[in-house]
Amino acid sequence: MIPNPLALIAELTHRCPLHCVYCSNPLELAAVTSELSTAEWIDIFQQAGKLGMLHAHFTGGEPLARPDLTELIAAARAAGLYTNLITSGIGLAEPRLKALVEAGLDHIQISFQDSREAAANWIAGAKAHAHKIELSRIIRRHKIAFTVNLVIHRQNIDHLEEMISFIEQLAPERMEIAHTQYYGWALRNRAALLPTRAQLEKAVETVAAAEKRLAGRIRIDSVVPDYYARFPKACMGGWGRRLMLINPSGKVLPCHAAEIIPGLNFENVREQTLESIWRDSSSFQRFRGEEWMPEPCRTCDRRAEDFGGCRCQALLLAGDATVTDPACSLAPAHHIIELALAEANSDAAVSQPVSASSFVQLQRAENLWDYRTNPE
Amino acid sequence: MMPPEDSSQPRLAAGCRWGAESKPGTEERVVLFPEGAIKLQGTGRQVLERCDGQRTFGEIIKELQAQFRVADPAKIRSDISQFLEQLRHKRIVDY
Repeated sequence: MIPNPLALIAELTHRCPLHCVYCSNPLELAAVTSELSTAEWIDIFQQAGKLGMLHAHFTGGEPLARPDLTELIAAARAAGLYTNLITSGIGLAEPRLKALVEAGLDHIQISFQDSREAAANWIAGAKAHAHKIELSRIIRRHKIAFTVNLVIHRQNIDHLEEMISFIEQLAPERMEIAHTQYYGWALRNRAALLPTRAQLEKAVETVAAAEKRLAGRIRIDSVVPDYYARFPKACMGGWGRRLMLINPSGKVLPCHAAEIIPGLNFENVREQTLESIWRDSSSFQRFRGEEWMPEPCRTCDRRAEDFGGCRCQALLLAGDATVTDPACSLAPAHHIIELALAEANSDAAVSQPVSASSFVQLQRAENLWDYRTNPE
Repeated sequence: MMPPEDSSQPRLAAGCRWGAESKPGTEERVVLFPEGAIKLQGTGRQVLERCDGQRTFGEIIKELQAQFRVADPAKIRSDISQFLEQLRHKRIVDY
């Protein structure tokens, strides 16, 4: 008997006013014309509630780009789901926020790119920073949980302490400090984003000190960088174990990036129920449990903890979704990670300026990275 | 570390709330919060259901001490204090 899924990730649209260089959205974005209708989404939330799911995470792209967002939040809440809006905040003024809270929004999560305005706008490829600060003040006037998310990487990690103090002033209940994960646009821009080992070690200390200092006031959840870890992350808590992701055009995926895996056929909510997809679809069964595992996972003591790591990362780095995640130090393909780390820590790479020391110089550098584009 | 005082009025933090009513025949209930949920039954559930922002910590302790008269009152107090402190660190409870 397969346990019920716990959470639904609703990728409402791939449209986004920001163009963050570390975006994990696929390089091939879903077209606007194929997006699910309001009625289709409402039906999905009702199905999710009946399946016993607890959380609905509204994300994108930028979910605020959907004019029917208030209606969708109300429908998810009515179906018994805890509602979480993951947003850049662009397009959100107080009247709309008030409407969302009244519709039953439980939690809002705003991403910040940096504490320094010029650097933040540079990473986002858009002028968004000042608005986000203003919005954070407005959020605190409403009875709603507030998380600030900060993605860290080579260009901003050197002033992490300053960024944490900046977030502290925004007074969220929760702060997420997430090392960049290398999928989609972030993988394309990896050379500019992967931190050095020295940067990482300093960041780990900074986070530990902040956790202690802010205990009881702000909860810090930090996402470790798997490139520097000994063992891989338990991606999505295991394939087909906890989460279902619906993409803007209704495809149902076990994770954000799963569509890149060749040979998998993903069902669409326009044709099948969530329950049948969860239980019976070949895509959700493909890497569920331990049957599919290769060595060294198959006999590894950690196989029920990390589930062999991330299938998409195995494909992206080793060219084969069925092998152990190369991030694992025991993986046959671990040399690929070691090579990336050697490049990131080479004398030539370390001597390159990062934004904290030479922001102007970096801005002028051409081809440092590619900004995320928008769907057709 | 900051345990609740007798005059503290514990309550669920912003954005944390009870999930649906428990199914008939079970006494388990869920508290939902950002990125997670905890299942509660027994004493844990009884304590958290009293964290309504009205009752004081002192009153909650008294109510539970009266209910569990065979247990050591001091132990009840320290257990509940620790429980609430942990939930405060997770930003599920404020006091």
